[in-house]
Amino acid sequence: MRALAAAAIGLAAALTLVFAVTAIGPPRGTTSPEPLLTSAPAHP
Amino acid sequence: MRRRASLVLLALAVFLTALAPLLRWYVFPRMAKVPAGRYQAVVLEAKDATLIDYATLEPRRVSRLTMIQTLKGNVGQADKVKEATGRDVVVWDTLTYAAGPDGRMVTRIPERYVFDAHTQQPVHAGGENVDGTPVRRDGIEYKWPFLVEKRDYRYFDMMTRTTAPIHYRGTRSFHGLDVYYFEQTIPWTQVPLPRQLPLGISPDTVRQLGLERWYTTQRMFWVDPVTGAPVNGEEIHREEMRWTGHPEKKPITAFDGHVRMRPDYVDAAVSLVKSQRQLVLLLTDYLPWAFAGLGTGLLALSLVLEARGRSRDRRAFGGKRAHDGGKPARPAPAGEPLSRGGSP
Repeated sequence: MRALAAAAIGLAAALTLVFAVTAIGPPRGTTSPEPLLTSAPAHP
Repeated sequence: MRRRASLVLLALAVFLTALAPLLRWYVFPRMAKVPAGRYQAVVLEAKDATLIDYATLEPRRVSRLTMIQTLKGNVGQADKVKEATGRDVVVWDTLTYAAGPDGRMVTRIPERYVFDAHTQQPVHAGGENVDGTPVRRDGIEYKWPFLVEKRDYRYFDMMTRTTAPIHYRGTRSFHGLDVYYFEQTIPWTQVPLPRQLPLGISPDTVRQLGLERWYTTQRMFWVDPVTGAPVNGEEIHREEMRWTGHPEKKPITAFDGHVRMRPDYVDAAVSLVKSQRQLVLLLTDYLPWAFAGLGTGLLALSLVLEARGRSRDRRAFGGKRAHDGGKPARPAPAGEPLSRGGSP
């Protein structure tokens, strides 16, 4: 019974971590102020 | 104490073992996406190309034609599309600007490409267009999905504004990376004239001269299979101005050249892909396998500890069993006669 409880705790922790990380997600970022180019830059 | 340690190890083992598949099949599809605010420029060149001179309507050889392709993620528009469709999308405003050897404009074609940030499949919202004309893509453009498969894809051709298969032609080694090589051939097709042409000429002027624009290309991409990002691109591109209703008249070559990515941009693309692919591999391979292995190891250790704990208990209680069928003898409380141990 105690083994089952320990396994459940491990599983719950994994699910909580995964749901939290995916709910937050990666940052959206912002639109770059750089223009659409009409001349070739010297370097990438 | 051992029993407690084995339970902690069991919880950890289940935690890690559960994380392994969750990372690969739940976290990765949700977390791996093209950033909405990505900005990227690529320079391609065609050396010793043929280019139409709009002043004389004659083709001429030029030492170099430069194509500057800029992709700019429009985060505000992506948020609006997300509100409307509920999908996580990327909106790319792009400009393909061709310049002659003197740096003057040859063509200038803006484009808006709206696609799913996870799958790279086109999303029909947010004003997708090419050169101001609304289009409806049913294939990828510029980038392949993450974890590219060895199969043909459908790729949008900006010039014809149609989608056609792009064929997988095998695996190649490119700058130390194993990449997938794709090829697409667009047969001769009549295409719209760009809205902006050199010398202030309008598409109507060209049409009034009785000319129409035809185009064919062989497009080649070397694509990193992990990130889906091309590390090299080439095009054998030909354009002709043909006389409307006069197939017997000789067409004027408008452009003929082999367009290749400038070597410094190839190096930059390879360098970027090499770093980004590690992040993808972390979620798809490195962490899931490490967690699965570690989880299995901890589970084994937990079982060993548990087994040892039980055998120790058996040894400890084995000699003190009562003669009534095996109930372990317990120390009698103080003041209680020992004869009460055993069966009631």
